[in-house]
Amino acid sequence: MTKKPSLMSKLGAPLLLVSLLAGCASTSGPVTEGGGNVTYGDAKAVETVTNEFGSTDLQMIAETMARSLSQHPSMRGQPLVSVSEVKNKTSEYIDTRSITNSVKNQLMKTGVRFATDASTMDAQTDELMRQNQTGLYKKSTAAKIGNMKGAKYILTGEITSIVKKNSSTKDVYYKFSLLLKNVEEGVDEWMDEKEIRKTSRR
Amino acid sequence: MRHLNRIWLSTLALALVSGLSGCGSMRNYKAETDSLASAAAGNNLNAAIATLEENNKGDDKDLLYFFEKGALLHAKNDIPASTQAWLSADEKIKLWEEAVKTDPGKVMGQVGSFLVNDKTRRYDGYDYEKVMLSTLLAVNHTLTGNWENARTEIKKTHEREALIAEFRAKEYEKQEEEAKGKNIKTTYKELKGYPVETLDDPDVTALKNGYQSAFSHYLAGFVYEAMGEPSLAAPGYRKAIELRPAVGILEDGLSGVDGRPRKRKTGETDVLFIIEAGTAPARQSMAIPLPFFWRGGLNYTQVSFPVIKPDRSVFVPTELQVGKDRVAVSEITSIDAMSRRALRDDLPGIIVRTTIRAIAKGATQKELSKAGGWAGLAGGLLGAVATAVTEKADERVWRTLPARIAIGRAVLPAGQHTLTLPAPGGVQRFDITVAGKYAIVPLRIMGPTTYALQPDVTKLASASALGASHEPDADTASAAELKPAKQAGKKTRKKSK
Repeated sequence: MTKKPSLMSKLGAPLLLVSLLAGCASTSGPVTEGGGNVTYGDAKAVETVTNEFGSTDLQMIAETMARSLSQHPSMRGQPLVSVSEVKNKTSEYIDTRSITNSVKNQLMKTGVRFATDASTMDAQTDELMRQNQTGLYKKSTAAKIGNMKGAKYILTGEITSIVKKNSSTKDVYYKFSLLLKNVEEGVDEWMDEKEIRKTSRR
Repeated sequence: MRHLNRIWLSTLALALVSGLSGCGSMRNYKAETDSLASAAAGNNLNAAIATLEENNKGDDKDLLYFFEKGALLHAKNDIPASTQAWLSADEKIKLWEEAVKTDPGKVMGQVGSFLVNDKTRRYDGYDYEKVMLSTLLAVNHTLTGNWENARTEIKKTHEREALIAEFRAKEYEKQEEEAKGKNIKTTYKELKGYPVETLDDPDVTALKNGYQSAFSHYLAGFVYEAMGEPSLAAPGYRKAIELRPAVGILEDGLSGVDGRPRKRKTGETDVLFIIEAGTAPARQSMAIPLPFFWRGGLNYTQVSFPVIKPDRSVFVPTELQVGKDRVAVSEITSIDAMSRRALRDDLPGIIVRTTIRAIAKGATQKELSKAGGWAGLAGGLLGAVATAVTEKADERVWRTLPARIAIGRAVLPAGQHTLTLPAPGGVQRFDITVAGKYAIVPLRIMGPTTYALQPDVTKLASASALGASHEPDADTASAAELKPAKQAGKKTRKKSK
């Protein structure tokens, strides 16, 4: 005698499938929903909200520069590099440190090592002083003063823009240049540019 | 039937008169804010604050209350309370911003409402007020050593400006279409008797728009420079130059952005003096007779438009003295001109709304007066009174904003200095103490009175000791202590703690 499947067993498989699929969503933890229409999007999605400098520009520049520099012979042997401020010659508030941080992040994954730069120097020297001058630390474990390593190369550059607009069109052209300089020899070892054109119409 | 209609219209007019004259929208903001400005200029900030509280007894405080309160407390040097009041104002601005981001058409619909008097609409603040709010919040944060928070306010200012630019472009386009559709001329030059020279002033027409200021962007440059971010400081100074060309101090800001930190010696402080002078001009209602055709005949009705008269009497010093050294001071922003530029840009929309509303009211009045005898006379009179009471231009505006803003900048050895400032009440002298790499020293001139602002040094010290999240960096934190010292000339008030 064959037993008829129960309602629960009929629904069981689809329910299990639904619950498994729900578990595959990108946010695996519990979700607290409010009244607002907040959604998460892809951080790498192409952003074309306005033609001002945006996340896609930052990602394109960082990726192009990191790829180009990592393939250059000067990067063999994991040299020590220091990142200098990239000059912003536009009238837009572009955080160039965020761009160079992304370049640095991608290069570090390929083995490039970076020396302390101006943006983190204060934090590092404060910590050195704290370990050596407060009397709170064991001398044997305290980081010694005078052992910082000098970088072989310095990474520097600039971003410029040309903005043109009339009553119906706005055209923005960005040029981001990055340069790798041998500190001791004063030789420019590598340079690359990334150009971006963005046009919007009303 | 027509008789009944007239009775109904009379009742409506009576309800309008009695209802609106008693409601908040009929408050006389100009008189209220004149008394605030007068008390502040008369060296009585406590009286000004008490008057503000008296005029705003309800629990549901509006944006203007928080604007004015923050500004009065700022002058009083009660920086934490000022910041708190301005952050409450900022919450209200954020509601507007959210509405603009999610449904700009709805916000435009409210702005474009033809039946509601501009005075009865919720006050969302003028664009330049929204931008100045986050700018002045940044100044307040530097005075309490919270440079990180100042940076956040600076970033908010940029985002706010971008949102305003996008929204206004759409709004003006929609207004233009509406005016064309209703065949209304929107040029203010057509308004007989309107003081067009106040809006065609070169100071007004030279501005790029009504909300971006050289001061906001120079301050952005200074804060970013203090935070060690020259790539963000440079566009701040550059924008300031674009907004106010050919001013030496602005050009020096940009040209020195890379070299300045290296040139400054240990123990020196780069000090930005901000001179906030006068009070923002009032908006006044001006009645203009508007001709219109109704049932084949030419009729007239009264319409009112806002007028802003420039205040040329505001004194802005051209230099101050630190010890024996002279520091050049340059005016870089005129809120006076910005407020007129805002009115100039808004006027086409105001003309469309006012004209349509006035014609509707004029027609009602005409109908009411058609009834014969006493009923007609009473109806016509009530209609006229209703028009006169309800048809007043919106006079609301943030009055305790400074009319003009000037800056001076000097590198001083950390420590105490004597600051000498020529002011309307005579030459003022203060002992100031500056410390850290960067510091901001605001001076608020209202009438003959000069208020000097100082950071809350005790709070700075305790924040540092507790290791608060926004702990001031010993090197970058502002620490300018101002103390009143001997003075020459007329007796004036100098704020100290």
